[in-house]
Formats: sequence, C-alpha cells, structure tokens
Amino acid sequence: MFRNIQLNGNIANAVKGCTEVVATTSTKAPFAGKSPKQVLPTKPIFLTNYNLQSTLLSKKALTPVTTTQVRLVHTDFKVPDYTAYRRDSVKNPSASNRDTFEKRNAFTYMVLGTAVTGTMFCAKAVVHKFVLSMAPAADVLALASIEVNLNEIPEGKNATIKWRGKPLFVRHRTSAEIQIEQNTSLSELRDPEDDSVRVQKPEWLVIIGVCTHLGCVPIANAGEWGGYYCPCHGSHYDAAGRIRKGPAPSNMEVPPYKFIDDNTLLVG
Amino acid sequence: MTSSTFSFFKAASRWSKNHKFFLTSFGVLAGGGSSIIYALEQSIHASNDAAHVAKQKWNHNGWFDTLDHASVRRGWEVYKNVCAACHSVEYLAYRELVGVCLTENEAKAEAAEQMIEDGPDETGAMFKRPGKLSDLIPKPYPNEEAARYANNGAYPPDLTYITQARIDGENYIFSLLTGYMDPPAGVVLAENQHFNPYFPGGAIGMAQALYDEIIEYEDGTPATQSQCAKDVVTFLKWCAEPEHDTRKLFAMKAFTILGVLNLVVWYLHRHYWSVMKTRKIFQSPKSLFKK
Amino acid sequence: MSIVNVLYKTVLKRPSRFFVVVAVTSLFFERTVDIGIESLYDRINRGKQWKDISSKYE
Repeated sequence: MFRNIQLNGNIANAVKGCTEVVATTSTKAPFAGKSPKQVLPTKPIFLTNYNLQSTLLSKKALTPVTTTQVRLVHTDFKVPDYTAYRRDSVKNPSASNRDTFEKRNAFTYMVLGTAVTGTMFCAKAVVHKFVLSMAPAADVLALASIEVNLNEIPEGKNATIKWRGKPLFVRHRTSAEIQIEQNTSLSELRDPEDDSVRVQKPEWLVIIGVCTHLGCVPIANAGEWGGYYCPCHGSHYDAAGRIRKGPAPSNMEVPPYKFIDDNTLLVG
Repeated sequence: MTSSTFSFFKAASRWSKNHKFFLTSFGVLAGGGSSIIYALEQSIHASNDAAHVAKQKWNHNGWFDTLDHASVRRGWEVYKNVCAACHSVEYLAYRELVGVCLTENEAKAEAAEQMIEDGPDETGAMFKRPGKLSDLIPKPYPNEEAARYANNGAYPPDLTYITQARIDGENYIFSLLTGYMDPPAGVVLAENQHFNPYFPGGAIGMAQALYDEIIEYEDGTPATQSQCAKDVVTFLKWCAEPEHDTRKLFAMKAFTILGVLNLVVWYLHRHYWSVMKTRKIFQSPKSLFKK
Repeated sequence: MSIVNVLYKTVLKRPSRFFVVVAVTSLFFERTVDIGIESLYDRINRGKQWKDISSKYE
C-alpha cells in the first residue's frame, strides 16, 4: 500500500468530492507469467517537501509533510442526507420497494389526474369567456328585437318603426285589401309569392320598408295598387309588399316576427 | 488602498457611454415620476380638510358576499324619487334593472312612464315616445350647462360610477348624505350653500336631500334618513359594479380550484425534481483515474 | 390486492386509459364544482340575491 504516489498538480481539484482514499498511479497488478506493459507518466513530479507544499491542498493541512504518504481522507466532508425526499414506504431497509411500487405510482398518477382535471376546468372557463366576448353585447341585443303595440295602428294605416337602422312597415290591412291580395293570381306577379306566405295574420303585414331597387323608403298607401310607391324610381307595390310595376326586381323583405299576444308584435 | 478594493465600482467603468446614459436617465425618470405621483397624492390629501368618513359594515363587504338586492330595490326607489331630480345615471338602461331590482314587467312599466326623445321621423323632426327597456334612464338636465344654471353653478355629478369615482366611495357617500349640519361659528357660507363636514371645503351646493320619511318604501321598511342613505349607496354600488355578484362567485370558484391546483403542482414539482435534487456529483478527471 | 392496486392496473398504468378517464372525470368534476360552489354561494347569501326575493314582486 505504501508505495510512492505520483501526483500531478491538479489533484487538489480532483479529490474534493471524493470520500474514499484513492490509490493513485493504479496500474494493473502484475500477474504471474504475463507482465503488463508499464505505462509511465511522461513527466514525473518528484515529491519533495517543497513540491508538495506548493501543489497540495494547503500548507497547513499537510504539515508535517512526509514523502512517504499523503492521506487524502476528508472526514469533515458531509454526505448529503436525502431522507426528506424519500417516501415513507421505502424508508424501511428490510422491506422490498417492489411491494409498494404500485401504490406509490398510483398516488402520483392520481395527483397528476387531479392536476389535469383542474387545468381543464380553468382552461374551459378561460376559453368560454373569450368565446362569449365575441357574442353581441347586451345593448346591441336589446335593440335587436322590438315590440310593437298593435292597438296604436288603426285599420288601413301603415306604421313606420325604426328597427336595426331600417324602417319597418307594420300595416293594418282592411278586409278589402286582404280580399284583393288573397285573390291575386301568381301569374300576374313579377316575383310570385302567395299572400299567405307573406303574412302570419291576414290583417297584419310586416315588411322591411326598403325598396328592393335602390333602397329608398317607399310611401305607404300610394301607387297604382294602393300598397306602396317608391318615389325614387317609381316602383309600385301592392298591399302585400309585392312588386307590381317599376324597376324593382323583387318583393319587399319580410323580417322574422311573431305575435306575443293579440295586441303585441315582436319583431326580430 | 489597492485598486481591488474598488472592484464593486469597477463594474460601472466597463459600461459603455450609452449604457450609462440610459441607466442614468431611467433612474432619474423613475425617481422623478415617483416623486411627482407622491407629491400629487399628498397634495390631494393635504388640501382635503374634510372629516374622516366612518367605515360602515356594508353587507356586501365580505369576499363572497353579494349585494342585498332588496336594498338595491329600495335604493332605486330613493334614486328615482329623490336623487333623480338633479343627478343622472346616464349610462344605465332600464333593461339592466331587470333581474337585479325590478321584474321585467315593472321595468317596462317604469320605462313607459318616461317620454324619451327619438327620431328623426319621416319629416325629419325629433319626437317623444314612451320609453322602452333598451332606453337609457333619462337625464334631469339636457346638458352640463343647463345643470349648472339650475344649481347655482354647481354641477350635480353623474351617479353611474360615483362609488368608484370617490375615495372610499360607499362610506363617503353615506357620510355625505347623513352628515349635513349647521355651519359652526365662524364659517360663512355663500347663498344656496350648505355645510357638510365630509365635503372637501365644507361648503356644498347640494342641499340635504334625505330626511326621515322623505319617501315611503313599497316593502314597508321604515324610511329613516340612514336607511335611505344605505339603500341608495347599495344601489349606486350595484350601478358602478353591475358584475359585483358574478365576480365574487367567480372568485369563489377560482380560489377553490387554484387552491387545489396549488397543492397538486407543489407535489408534482417535488416529485419530478426529486431525481435531480438528490443526485450526488463528484468529479473523476481522466488524468487521475485512467492513467 | 387493495383497491389502489386494482385502480393502478385498470386505469392508471396505460396512458390511453388514464387520459380517457381523466377527460370523462373532468366533465363530471366541472358540473360538480359549479353546482357545489354555486349552492354554497347561495347559502352564504341566502335572502340577499334577486332570485330569493323576486317571488314577492311577480
């Protein structure tokens, strides 16, 4: 054991983290019969007193310096204690870790499952909020539909109401008008649509008051058919809002509407 | 002293000129900006000779406490019968009261009582029509000038967001409404001014608005001055923060879920990093062991 | 074999099964948390919210 050790100058760095005594210049032990080739350091450093003092850890630690032995055992080196990181089930040295493997794994997987579930809950809430922000605002929605009080519209009159920025015609038709419109044959019409398709209740005609030609607002109770007359380019509509004469290509549009009760109409 | 003593300062000597200029400007701007904000904040407090407002125990104070909607409903009654004579809530629409303090039919009826200007009609003229749910609550004055003219130059502020617009909004408004008193000796008020110790300066253009029994509550609650003040403040709190109840419900959900996630993430972090954190590392240079 | 071992073998061991089970659980979890917390919130604020008093005015 007590052989001369040969150290190079970097040994001090090398032994810092090492807890065992290291026999340096470890060459293979010579076997009988076959002697291995000796590899010698190219430039041996002679272990003189002066040499060791200048290369090893510190002068203090190594005094008195002998040339026969240098012990590099560091008993003050603290091995870190990782017990806190170990699970209780594997702390018992006489029990097999394999017995509790599934239990330990199951716990971690269940925690992982909880994490994924919670994250999905949050992600869904966030996505939901962002998607909802694309929906129309409440004030826009409040204007999207209007209620019309039908009591205020006498028979034979046409009420004009603003709805989504457009004029809405609500016409209380007389029985004579109803009679005429219902008996109009489809062959007379440019844009054939039966009266029953255009109204829900025969007395009430609900249309968007925009001429289908160039978007003027027609005048009610005017024109050759007594329905609507567009003053811009002379389109004539009948009392069902159907185009009869003039440049307009199609009938006036019927918006979605329903009767909440006998006197209230909900448009939109 | 050797130069190594000043190694701490030597770091700056290696900086480029631009680097130094940038850091110096940043420091000056940040410091100056903070000082200005601090000075402005202090000057506000310094100019404020108003009495300190008492902290009231609002029953929506807790983290998870909703507004008391019966109180909001009474507060709406107080607002429309008392405050609405001078103060607007111009950003509030009738439809927003539905499901908060009025039923849909009640809100429709209240809206229909107001004549709202609409138009232009086919002749181009503006016209009046009964209000609808989508209408905003009408203002007492058409514009600020009219409001000032009618109130001796004082402008009754809009109340929609007033609890947010005053420091310690709810308590301040409550104290202001209930704090009117005769001016102490030596305080001279101008004509049409009133003394209120909670108002900065003490002289306020607004007369005392709330007295005992000034209105009669529909639900029979005794309409004392403080009851009216409390109710109208609760209403204004809702008005400024209509999302109040939903927000607190959401907070409750968030605390629950994030609380669970916090524990879970702590465990998983420890689990995944335990491999890294329990490694022992030592060097074995080739020169030493592989000769 | 305890219930944990059964759970481990049936659900947790295979990632495919694990994530299917997690996805399905999330659906129920969300409903449960929503309903649970909302009912707790309503209980804390009993008598204060509009839905508690609206019946008086309709």
